[in-house]
This record gives sequence, structure tokens and C-alpha cells, in this order.
Amino acid sequence: MSGGPVGVEYTGVRELRGPLVVVEGVREVGWDEFATIVLDSGERRHGLVLDVDRDLAVVQVLEDTAGMARTGTRVAFAGTPLRIPVGPGWLGRMCDGRGEPADGGPPVLGDTRAAVGAAPINPVRREPPGEPVLTGVGAVDVLTTLVRGQKLPVFSAAGLPHLELAVQIAAQATCAGEAFAVVFAGMGLTHADAEFVRAGLAARAAARDLVLLVNTADDPVIERLLTPRLALTVAEHLAFVVGRHVLVVMTDMTAYCEALREVSAARGEIPARRAYPGYLYSDLASLYERCGRIRGRPGSVTVLPVLTMPAGDITHPVPDLTGYITEGQIVLSAEVHASGAYPPVDPLSSLSRLMRKGVGAGRTRPDHPAVAAQLTAALARSRQVRELADLIGRPALSPTDQRFLDLEDVFRRRFLAQGTDENRSMDESLNGAWDVLLTLPRGELGMIPVDLLDTRTAAREKESP
Amino acid sequence: MTAPADPLDPVRAALLRAAHTAADEVRDRARADAQETLRAARASADEVLARARDRGAADGAAAAAGERVRAVQDAWAAELAARAAVYAELRARVREGVRRALARGAVPQTRLAARARTLLGADAHVTAAPAGGVTGEVPGRRVDLSADALADRALERLGARAAALWEPP
Repeated sequence: MSGGPVGVEYTGVRELRGPLVVVEGVREVGWDEFATIVLDSGERRHGLVLDVDRDLAVVQVLEDTAGMARTGTRVAFAGTPLRIPVGPGWLGRMCDGRGEPADGGPPVLGDTRAAVGAAPINPVRREPPGEPVLTGVGAVDVLTTLVRGQKLPVFSAAGLPHLELAVQIAAQATCAGEAFAVVFAGMGLTHADAEFVRAGLAARAAARDLVLLVNTADDPVIERLLTPRLALTVAEHLAFVVGRHVLVVMTDMTAYCEALREVSAARGEIPARRAYPGYLYSDLASLYERCGRIRGRPGSVTVLPVLTMPAGDITHPVPDLTGYITEGQIVLSAEVHASGAYPPVDPLSSLSRLMRKGVGAGRTRPDHPAVAAQLTAALARSRQVRELADLIGRPALSPTDQRFLDLEDVFRRRFLAQGTDENRSMDESLNGAWDVLLTLPRGELGMIPVDLLDTRTAAREKESP
Repeated sequence: MTAPADPLDPVRAALLRAAHTAADEVRDRARADAQETLRAARASADEVLARARDRGAADGAAAAAGERVRAVQDAWAAELAARAAVYAELRARVREGVRRALARGAVPQTRLAARARTLLGADAHVTAAPAGGVTGEVPGRRVDLSADALADRALERLGARAAALWEPP
């Protein structure tokens, strides 16, 4: 992915250490500059400048230094950070974490080249997010609706099916018939997971509305820092120039942050919380804030980062700092997973702060906001009743409380549980939510307007007289 | 003189009648039961058949959808492989063209040598590259102006125009 004018190649390789090459005699080389390394055999590799001290540059080689020798190795610096070609040529392609084809095709071609570290959108040019991205997953669409231009992370823990959920959302998401694309960035995935992602998104790739970038666990960590930036750069062009609504799924952001920590340690920076660099917050913001809509431009970039909370700790720096930047979260729960329900979404810890802008009449369905609010309130009451029942026993509960006690189970069976390849329409999902709510006495559904309640109850009586 | 009638005959006859009636009732009930069982079995068989038909149709539709996706994927993979081959061929032809052009003297060797010295300094050691063009070198730095390097840079600058090779006109 180099190119451009003739560059001087540096041949003074002082040291090869792990993935690092120390080059001497360099002039005017800066941090994060992109480098092309040519071996004596003619093989080309790529790298990033990690550190510069006077005429010494430390370059991390993306493909590792195996087979490289001090003599005969030439390093050319691009003069800028990595730039990649952008355009519709990316659609349908599967590449590694630095954008090199992994599908047997030619290099991805594009007339325009864009810097992968592009700046986030200027706040004054932002158009507020609106209109939903429908995922076909009932729990997400009804209770934490994803809105175009939003950044909504999935908080998970080791052993939970977050990759299945990420792939299902990436495979099913749509924008009400408008031009749409998904950019899926996998970071630190095992080979088995990478294959699962490829197979799960095969139909979407075949339809040429998917870009798949996969950095596997055994790829160099510096590549892992590039992968989400590459994904966002490709997405921005597809959205704001080509005019598509683009969903960027990035998983696993914890693996990304660990790569950031490793590179920061190699640079000798002062470690902050849990040895992550002090700039972890601003680094994450520089990724997440690249989503949104721009006034006067078509398309949108919606970001769905997936992160695993080490030991399920929501106060860990990665989920903690992510939570400050993003607009809500979808929390997966080990308890719900243990009950056998998929997706194991904890509805009371999950929230989409921009949901109000994307639901209701003309967007999803007129009853959506009231149903979602009532369902969340009822589930909160159900949890309180469960705690009460733990103290006084079920028989001591009032008949109404007993119905609330059963509500969570009904919610999991009739609404939450869904197949990994089941694509639910918004109507099906909302009808499922109504089924759960109508197990409660009418008097307990005070958040739903009476006319809506009348229509729904009449329809139900008609169905089962 | 006729033999006196057995006084138990009426009882026997009544018992026989009752036994016949009971037997008829049992037989009717058994027949009705058999008919009911048959009807239920037929209904259940129809239901099982309908369910099996639905499941079979769903399985078939899913398999067909999977097969369709696989076929489209295979076709796309074959197309990508063909594009890669065409691109490699283009690279080979551009290299060949640049080699021929340099051999023809389209760009004088002296001009390339002068460019190398501009980049590296006047004391650069300039040598002719085997396939045309030159390379310049000073300790620790090198400039590659060989035919193949120039061709590769030109091809990369071509960008999406190279895609015209496989895109419909």
C-alpha cells in the first residue's frame, strides 16, 4: 500500500530484535510514519515507526522480522502515516488487519487515498443521529435500538456469545431498504473465530455489501492498532462520499487496548491504570468519535464496538473509558446465559441513549417507545419482587406480585430467546414484547396510552376468543 | 305326556338375551372405539405428514439458500482469482514495457543517474541495473531507479483505473 514519489531507502540496519528493526542514518522521519522494507530476496514487508531518536528509527515490522538479515535489508519511509486507497472496490473483499487481500484477489484499488488516522468529525458539522439501524435481534431492536450515526458498545465477558451476536447483527442489519454496508473489523481473533466470522457473513459478502478485515491473535500487535482505523477510513468514504449507511462492527476492543498497552510499553511510556497508557481515553475517543452523520452529506457511520470485560469487571479501564465516550451499552449477562437464553442481554443494564431519536411513528412503530418503556419498568419491578420473594417466599406475595415474579421467565422465553440465524422483523419483535406485557393485569400497564392498550387487547381477544 | 318344562328355561333365555345384548353393546363400543382410534390415527398421520412436509420444505429452502450463497461465493472467489491473474499480467506487461522503453533510450541513463545523485548527493555510486535503469548508493542509503521499481510505482499510481481491466465498459 505504498506508492508515490521515488524515496530514499536506508540500508543501515543496526539491530533486529523481535518484530523491531533499528535503522540508523535516517533523516526527517517521524512517529507513526509508514515504512516499506525490502529484503535481499526482493520480498516486501511493511512497518510503522515506533520511535525516533536523532538518526535512529525503530520500525515495527507488520509481518515480523523472521528471515530478515542486517545486511541486504532496505527500509524506505513514506513521509506520512499509512494511507490506503478508498472506494467501492472494498465491497465484497476480505483482507487481513492491514488491508492486504486475504481472499486471493488483486490489491484493493481506489482513485482516492485517505490517511487511516483521519480526524474525527468536526462537532459543528455533525447532524444529530436519527432513524434506526434494524438488527433483526429483538432485544436490541426493541429495548436498545441502534440509531444511525450512534456508537453503541456491547459489553461482554469471556465465555459469552458476543462474537455470535456481533456476527448475527453484522449479517442481518438493514436500514429500511436504503443503501447499506457493513465493515467488520476483527481484532485478535483466533483462527477458529476468524473462520466463524467468515462463514457467518458469507451471504452478506456474496451480496457485496460487506468489508471484512481480520487481524488474528497471532498477527503482530501493531497491526491490531491499524485494523479499526482502516475499517473506519473505508467506512467514512463509503458513507460520506458513496452515500451508504455503514455499520462498523469492531471486535474485540479489549484485544485492541491490550495491543495499545504492549506498544506503549515498547515505546517506554509511563504506564497509567493497569499499565494502559494515560492516553487510552483519547485514543478510544479518536476511534469512536469517527461515527456520525455530516450535515449536507449522505450516509452515516454507526459503530458497534464489542469488548470483553476482564473477569466481568465493568470498572476495568476498557469498559469504564468506553462507557464515558459511547452513547449507551448492550450488556451481556452470565446469569442470562446460564439460563440458556440467547442473546444473553441484560435488559436492565442495557441502554441506548439515542433510542428516542430513532423509534416511534414513521421510524419503527407508533407503539414502540411506550412498549419499550413499559417492558423495562415491568422487568425492574419483577427484579424487586424476586428479591422480596427471596425473603418472604412466593406464597406470601400478592397475586399481582406473583405475576411480576413470573414475568422475567416469560420475558426470556417469549421475547429474548431467539435463534442465532433468526432474523426477526420489527413487528414480530414488538408483538413478542406485547405478549410478555399482556401477562400482567391491565392496571399495571400505566405507561401505555389507553387507546393503544384497547386496540391491542381487542386484537388479542379476537385472536383467541 | 310331555316332559315337564324346565323351570330354569326362562332364566336361561333371559340370561342368554342379556348376554347377547351385552355382547352387542361391547362389539358396538369396540367398533366405535376402533373407528375413533382409526380416525385419530389418520388425523395424527395427516398432521405428522403436514409437519414433515413443512419441515422438509423449510430444510430444503435453507439448504437451497445455503447452496445459492455457496455458489455465489464460489463464483466471486473465481472472479477474484481471475482479477488477481489479470492484475499480475498487467504488472508483468508494464515492467516489460518500461524495460523496453529504457532499452530504447526513452529516458537517457544519464538523466536517471543525475536524479539518483540529486537524491543521494554528488558522491553517490551509481550502477546500471540488470534489467534497465540505475541504482544509486552511498553508505547507509540507496535509491532504486531500476526499470522494475519505476514500473511498480507507476502501476500503484494508476489506482482504480486498473480496475477497468475487469469492469464492464
